[in-house]
Amino acid sequence: MARRLAIQVPSLFGCDVADPVSAIEEMDFVHADTRQSVIGKLVRQLRIDTVVHMAVTVDSAAEDRLAHETNVIGTMNVLAGCAGPASPVRRLVVKSSQAVYGAAPGDPSFLTEQVAGSDRPAYGLKRDLLEMEQLAQEFSLRTSGCSVCTLRLGYRVGEGTKLGSYLSLPIVPTFAGFDPRLQLLHEDDAAEAFVRATRGAHEGVFNVAADGIVLLSQAIAIMGGKAVPILPPYGRWLGRLALHAAGVDLPEHLTDVLAFGSVADCSSLAAAFGWKPAYNTRAVIDSLARGKDVEVIESPSPPQEYELQVYLQRRRRRERNGHAHAALALRC
Amino acid sequence: MLTAQRTTALASKELRRRSRKAKVVAPPRASLLRVPKPIRRLQRRAPIYAIQGINGLSTRLREMTGREVIDMNRVMEVIQFLYRQGELARRGPNYLVDDFGFDAEWTESFLSVFKVLYRDYWRVETTGIEYVPATGRALLVANHAGVLPWDGTMIKTAMFAEHPHPRHVRALVASLFMGMPMLSWFLRRTGQTVGHPDDTRRLLEQDELVLVFPEGVKGTGKPFKDRYRLRRFGRGGFVSTAIRAGSPIIPVSVVGSEEIYPMIADFAPMARLFGLPYFPVTPMWPWLGPLGMIPLPSKWRIQFHPPVHTEAHPPSAADDNHLVMTISDEVRNTIQKGIYDNLKLRRGVFV
Repeated sequence: MARRLAIQVPSLFGCDVADPVSAIEEMDFVHADTRQSVIGKLVRQLRIDTVVHMAVTVDSAAEDRLAHETNVIGTMNVLAGCAGPASPVRRLVVKSSQAVYGAAPGDPSFLTEQVAGSDRPAYGLKRDLLEMEQLAQEFSLRTSGCSVCTLRLGYRVGEGTKLGSYLSLPIVPTFAGFDPRLQLLHEDDAAEAFVRATRGAHEGVFNVAADGIVLLSQAIAIMGGKAVPILPPYGRWLGRLALHAAGVDLPEHLTDVLAFGSVADCSSLAAAFGWKPAYNTRAVIDSLARGKDVEVIESPSPPQEYELQVYLQRRRRRERNGHAHAALALRC
Repeated sequence: MLTAQRTTALASKELRRRSRKAKVVAPPRASLLRVPKPIRRLQRRAPIYAIQGINGLSTRLREMTGREVIDMNRVMEVIQFLYRQGELARRGPNYLVDDFGFDAEWTESFLSVFKVLYRDYWRVETTGIEYVPATGRALLVANHAGVLPWDGTMIKTAMFAEHPHPRHVRALVASLFMGMPMLSWFLRRTGQTVGHPDDTRRLLEQDELVLVFPEGVKGTGKPFKDRYRLRRFGRGGFVSTAIRAGSPIIPVSVVGSEEIYPMIADFAPMARLFGLPYFPVTPMWPWLGPLGMIPLPSKWRIQFHPPVHTEAHPPSAADDNHLVMTISDEVRNTIQKGIYDNLKLRRGVFV
């Protein structure tokens, strides 16, 4: 995502606790922790006008407390850093997840943005995400000059995701008597959605998920695995424990999704952004099956001497003018 | 052109010179397990011989007794069904389901089973099927009875057995059934969806035929002594959805579904244990185990009534509670009257 942004934005600052996966020339990188309130200092000193908050963990198996710390407290700190009358931040993009809806048999077949936070008792991650979104919404209400865009990303099956590794098992234990509809999102589309949200002036909450669905059994068959309905249909935590014992980590929110399915309605995204994900769900699962889910990009070539000079000159000039149009990307 | 030919000729000569003798690769032979050819041929033709045999037997029996003992059409239907199931099992993951999870091909493969139930088991007599439009949206509203939703299945089958333009009916199901293993999977796969106003709207906007049971589980779970007495029709939500979607309402009366499982009692503690709205006790269930789930062969009648043209009202009328409740009552009365009419037409419960 940062790579895509780098082409379009004059200057880009990254911020994470860990080293970036790949170095991007146009991005300055800061080792920082959202849990500390360094964001405020960073934002004010670099006069950053767009903050993309991606330090939200969704795909963690256990450690509810840690996820809460990152998601809710981290967001709180980021928002606090961006708040205040002197803040230069004009746009805030917050990452959320489709997991905010959870999955229940009584849900409508297509979840619109308004469905979230109904009266059901929310558990761990879902409650955290709801709280986080609420914080973002409060921030947007309180801060008049800043537009907040929250993206609820669909379930992703890229490398290293829990759902992806679950679907890639040779023998996939499923919940007996359930074959839910799956809706996924390609990593490329997720990145593209962020870029568009950063560049555009969209305000509000948007579902971002691929078109169409596949059935779970279909997805497993495409992946070349064998679905074995052995997990108990009632008491899904029991099945989760059994999977854990067998070495498969399945987060709590995914157990419900794998029983009842969760499909989001992305019409408001299409209406506001004028864009919809390029991959449909079938294409996402196909690309995972082909093992080509990693984004193929040419290795970053060193900038030509002339271009580098131009860039530095431009940057110096802008710094003299005392205003930098910059984007801060936080990733985790 | 010439040079190209020469080069290819050269290349082939060169290749021929360099090539070694090709190895003959024969398929591995399992000499011990290999079945002789005549037996293999017999295996291949066994189904045809079986059909011919049954056919001969059927003719013989007809000559002997003077009536149809083995109906060849029936037999062929069974064979076709089995063959189709085999094909469906072999199609792999490359099939399309719509966004609701509806697999039309798979659903149609079960129609022959349901048609047997429709024609021979419950001997359904359907009237007024001409009121159902061949194209375009419509909301079918029916009474709900019997412990399991067989009435929905039979309305769906009626569309295929009787209507000149067969269409799939998409029924709305209580969210509770959607949470049940097996049932949730089967219902979604055959085109049903959750009874949520949003789903109804989406289906109607796709010009589908939607079936709704406003009584919900209050209808299916009512005791036998209350049979054919309609329960409350929800809060008239189906009417406002129909008005918003600009779709006519077609009331449907079903008679016969009440007697398939005469529910003499509701064992509430068991229902609470399994999270069900009711736990039925019938003369057979749960005493006979799975056998108790076999529905009784009552005589059924289904009547489709003339449509109520809710599309004549503007969408804003959906918020007019008075109008909504008036239409809801009108539909309810039509269905109740249809039930009484059909009960009179029926000679007995099982004939």
